[in-house]
Amino acid sequence: MLVDLSEDQELFRETTVRFIETELPIDRTRHLHDDPVGYDRGWLRKAAELGWFTLLVPEELGGGSISGEGLLDAALVAEQLGRFVQPGPFLPMNVVAAALAAHGTDAQRAERLPGLIAGTEVATWAWADAAGDWDGGAGVRAERDGSAVALTGVRGVVQDAGSADWLLVAATLDGEPVQVIVPTDGPGVAVAPRTALDLGRRFADVRLEGAVVGADAVLAGRGPEPLEAQLQRALVLVLAETVGAADALLAMTVSYAKDRVAFGRPVGSFQAIKHLLADQALAVEACKAAAGAAARAVQAGDPAAPEVVSMAAAAVGERAPEVAQQCLQVHGGIGYTWEHDLHLFLRRIQSNSALYGEASWHRERVCRFHELGGERGGVERATTGEAG
Amino acid sequence: MSDDLEGYRAAMRRWLEDNLPRRRGPVVRAAHAVAPEALAAARSEQRKVYEAGYLGITVPVEYGGQGLTEAHQRIWNEESARYAVPLPGGIASAVTLSIVLPTLLAHGSEEQKRAWIPAMLRGDEIWVQLLSEPGAGSDLAGLLMRATRDGAGWVLNGTKVWSSGAMNADYGICLARTDWDAPKHKGLTWFKVPLRDPRVTVRPVREINGGTEFCEEFLDDVVVGDDAVIGEVNGGWPIATTMLAIERGAAAGSGPAVGGSGGRRRLAPDLVALAEARGRADDPATRQLVARGHILDWLQGQLTARVGRAIASGKASPAAASFIKLGLGLKDPERAAIAMEIAGRAAVAWRAEGDDGHTAALNLLNGRVYAIAGGSDQIQRNIISERLLGLPREPSVDADKPFREVLRNAKSWGAKRA
Repeated sequence: MLVDLSEDQELFRETTVRFIETELPIDRTRHLHDDPVGYDRGWLRKAAELGWFTLLVPEELGGGSISGEGLLDAALVAEQLGRFVQPGPFLPMNVVAAALAAHGTDAQRAERLPGLIAGTEVATWAWADAAGDWDGGAGVRAERDGSAVALTGVRGVVQDAGSADWLLVAATLDGEPVQVIVPTDGPGVAVAPRTALDLGRRFADVRLEGAVVGADAVLAGRGPEPLEAQLQRALVLVLAETVGAADALLAMTVSYAKDRVAFGRPVGSFQAIKHLLADQALAVEACKAAAGAAARAVQAGDPAAPEVVSMAAAAVGERAPEVAQQCLQVHGGIGYTWEHDLHLFLRRIQSNSALYGEASWHRERVCRFHELGGERGGVERATTGEAG
Repeated sequence: MSDDLEGYRAAMRRWLEDNLPRRRGPVVRAAHAVAPEALAAARSEQRKVYEAGYLGITVPVEYGGQGLTEAHQRIWNEESARYAVPLPGGIASAVTLSIVLPTLLAHGSEEQKRAWIPAMLRGDEIWVQLLSEPGAGSDLAGLLMRATRDGAGWVLNGTKVWSSGAMNADYGICLARTDWDAPKHKGLTWFKVPLRDPRVTVRPVREINGGTEFCEEFLDDVVVGDDAVIGEVNGGWPIATTMLAIERGAAAGSGPAVGGSGGRRRLAPDLVALAEARGRADDPATRQLVARGHILDWLQGQLTARVGRAIASGKASPAAASFIKLGLGLKDPERAAIAMEIAGRAAVAWRAEGDDGHTAALNLLNGRVYAIAGGSDQIQRNIISERLLGLPREPSVDADKPFREVLRNAKSWGAKRA
């Protein structure tokens, strides 16, 4: 996805791939498909030893990156996770770790970051309304009660909420977006699992009915900006993962087209197939360019980052699922079987393409970023109000 | 080194400000016949730039250039962008300097390079490509232009077409068949052909958009000497490959310049204007279309930057340029269709030339230029699938047989197969 990897990054990428191939190659991920948690905590701790959860946390807080550009390093990991359709909470844990590092109080960081970095605690980001849409925290009401805060509302389609030790909940306090640390085993927290398209992911709805936490559970950084920053990081990681999955799926499909014989020829010698695959190769190349640009823009703090991530999400969100569909077409009947890995990729790619906003939502965000139209305007509105 | 470059830039800025008018509006590359007096005047304008040392910046000194680096050339590209740089033959001069000249540098003889390249740089010789024929476009090696040995020289007969700007050109670099018994790729030779010769007829081709950027040329017993042969006799194909790669690179480089993330450019101004003219800037369906068009432009820019970097660093094969070319070939028609949908009736009938609706209609008519020219989308897909993905080559029915036996009449196809 990134053209210019440093030697250290290349080594990190190789180490990541070796770890995945040793610990959890695709055939072994299948054993986890019926598991309600979907991943193994021991595996998560081993992954943490490779530094999977330090990348978005500064060194003085116990984190550290490979290249000094932690989001690019994290995107590199995400890309490999996509290639091997890995399960687990890599994405939300990194988003939460980055949020704590950037917006948490000293006490919150001291209490929560070490467990995340070591992979001994699992946390996830609960940002969507009951329908799974972006609401900028509007769907959960937070009310002060002495030194406590009570939360009421629903966070929908929360990744790994069922296995998380705690949630970072987007809510509204005193008319302002806030984020609150909420242990999943606390009073007034009910987690109801959904069934996921992606067999390697778990999602649940979280109902908060007067869930009480200490006022010290509210992150210090308030307002729409932290939420926007987290959305951007999540998009960079999910796009990188999608690109990795699409690239691997295309390679698998090209290889199949070379081997599969019909009408006395490898099917990959027919122009109908060659041209179809050339178009998919172009689409994957464009997705890599888009995801790479998004990663660099967010890492660099480019003022246009809100627009760039959304342009990338719209571009990848419409192309990658089509790549998956055409790869299924080239495989024919074998690709329609449960045993074949193709559907694992197809499910991951399709799921990712909606996870942090479908293409049309991102197109609308681009229009608002440029203040197209009369009454509406500005990206702030697009991320804090309803869009699409 | 960088101090040198900054000094170079400063001197250039002064020269530009003192010698060339500021450019108003986009670069206009005359695609119509230029009157002889105007052409002569424009040639002397080009000579002024050349004599100041700003044409042929990277061309070796022995061929009349400055022998400087790509970095110097980039500085010229940046600094001169705001000025009306003379291009006497319009698009023909652009072809001379950006396609023919580098091809000759790579494949011309020492005498040819010493004689012809300075003449091109001075503006004395404007060259165009005589490449495609009515029966040979994407299948260029199937061309029928005939060059026959005649004593010490050669006689050329045949028809060329799609030569940009030939009405203003002095010479053509012409690919012709010199051996009809060799396979199609092995009997081709390059010639320098005088276009102002009475045995050459240059006619404009009226295009789908009403314009006449291209010409067709009829060569009727045109005689040239042995010194007009470029490269080896029957060794023309590898030179053609070089030229097409240069042309593809030039086309790719003419895309939108992309710095960094490419964000913060104005939201597709043409689409916004069309939407606002109909009061549709708040209409959700229209906004989706505007964003689609804007994102297509951005994505093509990012793709070009990415593939360009990968090729330059050796991480991708030069064949990867086909991603850029196919990207444009697919993007432009889609982009044009989006504009037409936003425009509605404004692009069906307009009040004045240059209206937003008129522009949308012109872009629609021009939308397939990159999908067809310089190797069609289908050729790019062959290149991508065979050279980049490693899929099997298309079985060829013509590449290995003597060219005179190659099928030229579609009616014989079934009979040959039976």
